[in-house]
Amino acid sequence: MKGIWTLFSALIRVTVRNRQGLFWTLFFPVVLMVVFSFLGNSTSHINIALVEPRGTESPVVTILQKSPGFALHPMSRARALAEVRAGQMDAALFVPKSATTAPTTLTLRYNNANIIAGQETVGSVTAFIAQINVALSGRPPAYRVAAAPMARSRASTYLDFLLPGVLALMVMQNSLFGIGSGLTRWKEKGILRRFRVTPLKPVEFLGATVLNYIAVGLATSAIIIGLATALLHATVVLPLLALLLVLLLGMACFLAIGFIVAGVAKTQEATIPIVNLISFPMMFLSGIFFPVSSLPKTLAHIVHYFPLTYVAGALRGLMSGQLTLAAPAMRTDLLGMVAWVAIAGFVAARVWRWE
Amino acid sequence: MALPDDRRTGTMAEMGEYMHQAALRLENLTKRYGALLAVDHLNLEVPPGQIFSLLGPNGAGKTTTLEMTEGLRPPDEGHVYLGDVDVIRHPAVARLRFGVQLQTSAFFELLTVRETLELFGNLYPNALDVSVLITRMGLDEKAAARVEALSGGQRQRLALGVALVNDPEVVFLDEPSAGLDPQARRNLWDVILGLKAEGRTVVLTTHYMDEAEVLSDGLAIMDHGRVLDAGTPRELIARHLPGAMIEVDPAVGIGSEATGIPGVTSIERREEATVLVTERLEEALVGLVAWAGRERRELRGLRTRSATLEDVFLKLTGRSLRE
Ligand SMILES: Nc1ncnc2c1ncn2[C@@H]1O[C@H](COP(=O)(O)OP(=O)(O)OP(=O)(O)O)[C@@H](O)[C@H]1O
Ligand SMILES: [Mg+2]
Repeated sequence: MKGIWTLFSALIRVTVRNRQGLFWTLFFPVVLMVVFSFLGNSTSHINIALVEPRGTESPVVTILQKSPGFALHPMSRARALAEVRAGQMDAALFVPKSATTAPTTLTLRYNNANIIAGQETVGSVTAFIAQINVALSGRPPAYRVAAAPMARSRASTYLDFLLPGVLALMVMQNSLFGIGSGLTRWKEKGILRRFRVTPLKPVEFLGATVLNYIAVGLATSAIIIGLATALLHATVVLPLLALLLVLLLGMACFLAIGFIVAGVAKTQEATIPIVNLISFPMMFLSGIFFPVSSLPKTLAHIVHYFPLTYVAGALRGLMSGQLTLAAPAMRTDLLGMVAWVAIAGFVAARVWRWE
Repeated sequence: MALPDDRRTGTMAEMGEYMHQAALRLENLTKRYGALLAVDHLNLEVPPGQIFSLLGPNGAGKTTTLEMTEGLRPPDEGHVYLGDVDVIRHPAVARLRFGVQLQTSAFFELLTVRETLELFGNLYPNALDVSVLITRMGLDEKAAARVEALSGGQRQRLALGVALVNDPEVVFLDEPSAGLDPQARRNLWDVILGLKAEGRTVVLTTHYMDEAEVLSDGLAIMDHGRVLDAGTPRELIARHLPGAMIEVDPAVGIGSEATGIPGVTSIERREEATVLVTERLEEALVGLVAWAGRERRELRGLRTRSATLEDVFLKLTGRSLRE
């Protein structure tokens, strides 16, 4: 046992000195989060292309213009349609020449490529026009909504969605590349053989290696979470023990898969395409950047069984505050990870070679 | 082969036993790689406190033999005993008692020399003082340097240091002088002779004849996985080439007809010289001069010398060591 700690402390030193390795471990998670946090914070007024006949002075337009939630851009009909279609304008509002019959129809054309944004625009404009209607009628409204934000409430931003995914992604890359590629390199260079003529037992060598990558994975997780919450204002729930358990289980999955790669590949070069082949589909499909439910049904059905889907799902359940470890919905993810650890571990033990 | 006169450990009674017990004994050691018989029923005994060299051309099976001896490669047949320890059955016990420099071994590039030695030292219950080892390996200036910054020769010296870190009884060195400059090779010889002076047994492989001759108490010449012959350098020379060698310039053009010269046993046409082997030097010289007179040849580059280990090696393997 003493041997494990001796080697582990040496490996930690090696890892910390490997500046390039650390940089790449942190680079993608951080860049992803920073970029998306900026996208999330973009100014939130709605851009409306205003199409009205010359000389019209509609009171609706005057009121809209004064409202901070909307930015009106007068332009021609053709240009308005083109800009909405291109996504430069959120919607185009057509005001008819003069109101002869009530009610006057204001036509709103919106881009429905992004359904959520489209509905939001329509909703905002409709609600606003309704307010104007009430105001113009001169009668006091029958009902009024008094909206007050709750203490500690939050708007769920894309960053909040992304953070657990980025964590899961980092866990996968760190473990998979670390063992799959790093261990193969040591094997190739003869470092493993050198330790085999010492009293250090082979399992102790592997144990120290695994501990090293787990330590790196946990430290990186802490840095990513700290950065996301402190600097980028992600609002997530952090049940530390539950998170630790899920992170460890997730790492175990990918460490085991990494051992399969290191067992099969002869050289480090050979591991790179294998590792990419495993990680790329999961990176894009397993609910890191968008929910698995938005995939076509049959594909989602398959993706559901990917290890990264389980890890990201469990982390997101915990960090969104919607689930605890005991929740029934969490059981699938936890069992899925355990199954992956067992199966991949079994295969890894079969294919592992020291030379 | 000489018996040891300086064991480091044990009482007189135990020493008596050691005298009869080899430090290392290989019995019928065999390794096959598919159809290739890399090591073929090899038997060897190395008395304690000796420096023993394995000589052989590339692919002779030296590394495979050492790796089986170190418990790194399971043999297909045979046994290895380190003293009274069966290495293949009890590798963990044996590993405490021997040290290894592999033919190619790498260390963590981002650790320093000192950290590397400390790491390996900490894996053993008893380890030598790391600072002393660093000085002994001539690595004082590089103690704080990372492995990635070491030259090839410095890496070799680090590997040797790591082989000694557990104060081993037996040290296995696979081509320890590969890649060293002449000065560093001399220093290495001093270190190896120092190991012997401390009573350790050293088993090494080398491609340098002078090295084998200077260092070895005993040596074995190997090819195709077999020991062709073993003994002290003197014994081997006396057994295979007891006489003398006459060399002349190859341009003289001595052919096989010269075997008729009285006293000449055989002729070898090597690149650098034509070598006539003889056991009766005067008779052969007289015969050669007479032959040259008859044939009207000038005996350019004529010289005589006694046989060397290299000559024995060539005779036994039919190949040059570094071909
Ligand atoms: N892992 C292996 N698989 C197949 N063949 C091997 C393997 N290792 C060695 N061999 C073969 O076994 C033979 C003996 O190799 P070995 O490395 O023991 O030679 P050596 O005497 O150490 O040579 P060198 O002086 O070049 O180091 C060679 O023909 C080599 O090609
Ligand atoms: Mg070799």
